[in-house]
Amino acid sequence: MRHDDVLVRNNVQVFGAGTRPMLFAHGFGCDQNMWRLVTPAFEDDHRIVLFDYVGSGRSDLGAYDPERYGRLDGYADDLLDVCHALDLRDVVLVAHSVSSMVAVLAANREPERFSRLVLVGPSPRYVNDPPGYVGGFERADIEGLLEMMDRNFIGWANFLAPAIMKNPDRPELGEELTASFCSTDPVIARRFAEATFFADNRDDLPRVRVPTLVLQCSDDMIAPTEVGEYVHRQIPGSTLRVLEATGHCPHMSHPEETIRAIREFLHPAGSG
Amino acid sequence: MDELLNTAPCGFLGFGDDGTVGLANDTLLEMLGYGREEVVGRHVEHILTVGSRIFYQTHLFPLLRLHGRAEEIFLLLRARSGESVGVLANAVRRERGGRAVYDCVVMRVRERQKFEDELLRARRVAEQARAELEAQALEMELQQQQLEEQTAELELAGEELRVINEELIEKAEEAEQLRAAAEEANRAKSTFLAVMSHELRTPLNAIAGYLQILEMGIHGPVTDAQREALGRIDRSQRHLLRLINDVLNLARIEAGRVDYLVEDVPVGEVVAAVTPMVEPQYASKGVALAAEVAPDLVARADHEKVQQVLLNLLSNAVKFTPAGGRVGVEAVRSPDAPDRLLLRVRDTGTGIPPDKLEAVFQPFVQVDVSRTRSAQGTGLGLAISRDLARGMGGDLTAESTPGEGSTFTLALPLAPEVRPGAGADGAG
Repeated sequence: MRHDDVLVRNNVQVFGAGTRPMLFAHGFGCDQNMWRLVTPAFEDDHRIVLFDYVGSGRSDLGAYDPERYGRLDGYADDLLDVCHALDLRDVVLVAHSVSSMVAVLAANREPERFSRLVLVGPSPRYVNDPPGYVGGFERADIEGLLEMMDRNFIGWANFLAPAIMKNPDRPELGEELTASFCSTDPVIARRFAEATFFADNRDDLPRVRVPTLVLQCSDDMIAPTEVGEYVHRQIPGSTLRVLEATGHCPHMSHPEETIRAIREFLHPAGSG
Repeated sequence: MDELLNTAPCGFLGFGDDGTVGLANDTLLEMLGYGREEVVGRHVEHILTVGSRIFYQTHLFPLLRLHGRAEEIFLLLRARSGESVGVLANAVRRERGGRAVYDCVVMRVRERQKFEDELLRARRVAEQARAELEAQALEMELQQQQLEEQTAELELAGEELRVINEELIEKAEEAEQLRAAAEEANRAKSTFLAVMSHELRTPLNAIAGYLQILEMGIHGPVTDAQREALGRIDRSQRHLLRLINDVLNLARIEAGRVDYLVEDVPVGEVVAAVTPMVEPQYASKGVALAAEVAPDLVARADHEKVQQVLLNLLSNAVKFTPAGGRVGVEAVRSPDAPDRLLLRVRDTGTGIPPDKLEAVFQPFVQVDVSRTRSAQGTGLGLAISRDLARGMGGDLTAESTPGEGSTFTLALPLAPEVRPGAGADGAG
């Protein structure tokens, strides 16, 4: 695939005054806009790279391949395609939720390309695997989510877009967000959900060779603290940081604390 | 304000960025069966089912946080009893008292949920049907591919057959050419033989004529010694003439220049006419000759040629039967073919090996070359006889047991009036 084609396919956005690339990978259910509250803090000293996975946001839905995107490996392909297209090296990869495992897969495949991994709310397996592993969910819970998605997609196509468009107090969101955010094709979203919540990447963790920060929220029902601790134990030499932030999206609910944690990981005290 | 909220017909819920609930109206608490303290101060997730919690974290919260509002979101709330309660939620993000709060209104949707359930069920059925159709289409495509492959194989086989057929046609043409060439060569040979025989007979006639003149003493008296020499010349001349006649006959037959005068031929008459002609030969060699002919047997044939064939067979038989042997002639109706009669000549001679039985009918062939000298002959007799038999619509065949003797059978068409069922019962 030609590099330009990748940039269009994955709706790649590049900005910032620095040279060191900082690549942000969004999680399931959203698109690159989820990083909007965090990226300004790193614009001055980094080259910010944002993208949408194929099937999400404003990616090229025509490029969607159910085979490829039926597994997290396919999403890792997308992530590496973007790295190749921009010839990114020494990359700081910040990944949220399911993207944490996509990042692990990508980093294991091309470790030399990445200098740091920041995993926000990672979980290598969402479904419990007794005895010994608690992911937090039973399969039936995930089915409940899929049903919820089904039910809302019926209405969303009709109701959601106008709702966003008439948002008077946030004009900066603009029309482009309206068209993209959470308006994913329901079939694609369902397949992404299955690839995400039925994945098991526990065996990939010990193979990580890139310095890694695990950002764990205090009260995250999607990625419970025990899971964050598990990830930290399994990735050699990783750093675990438990945030005061609750929920699963600290970069949106508590952007300042999230920024601080990332910054301290990239520039440890005393290192200047 | 609180009073107004509490009496509203829909549930109301306020929570912050961190999800902590700050406000819940009575309607909501009654809807779910919670006490106020069980909701306020706790994370909003506690009143969501597990599926709704994930949905909230992955979809609803990002939407509210980044877009400031959401409308008509379907959620399943978890009642205190554990029961799921379906609601539609509208929510707005506002700044209040220096911090962000989400004001959320929820409405129970029993009826709507039922319709949506049916819609979802219908969609799943449709999707399943589509998947099945697709599978069937795939199957059909596969079958079509197989058919195409088979067709291609058949075409290939057809092509091979066509090639083989062409080769066969070519071979047949070659064979036809070879056959035509062979026939042409045979015709040329026959013509040559006919011409040569004629040319040879002319000087022989002169020899015979002058022999006669010498014998008659026209040119002076003939001594006994001279007369004996003339006798030898005469015998040699006659022998040579016989040979030439044989060759000429065969050539004529093969050249198709023999005419058959077909008539009713009483077989008894033929036998009666021929046996006296060979009797001297049999008598001098000491071979017995016996004839047995079924009465009223009439062939439809050329009288003269039947006689010629029988004569040839009897001459052959005596040649190859040692002294003291026996030759029998018999004529019967064919047991196999009602319209045929069989004229057999059976000898007690040396016999013919089975692999040579057909060869004896070939021109210029005698079974044992060493015997040719003693038995004399051109070797054309049987070839000519078979050609004549076939020329009359009959056949000439041989059977033999080496050491015991041979049987030559001349098959001929029966005259219609003596055939069984022909109506006439012949002579009484």
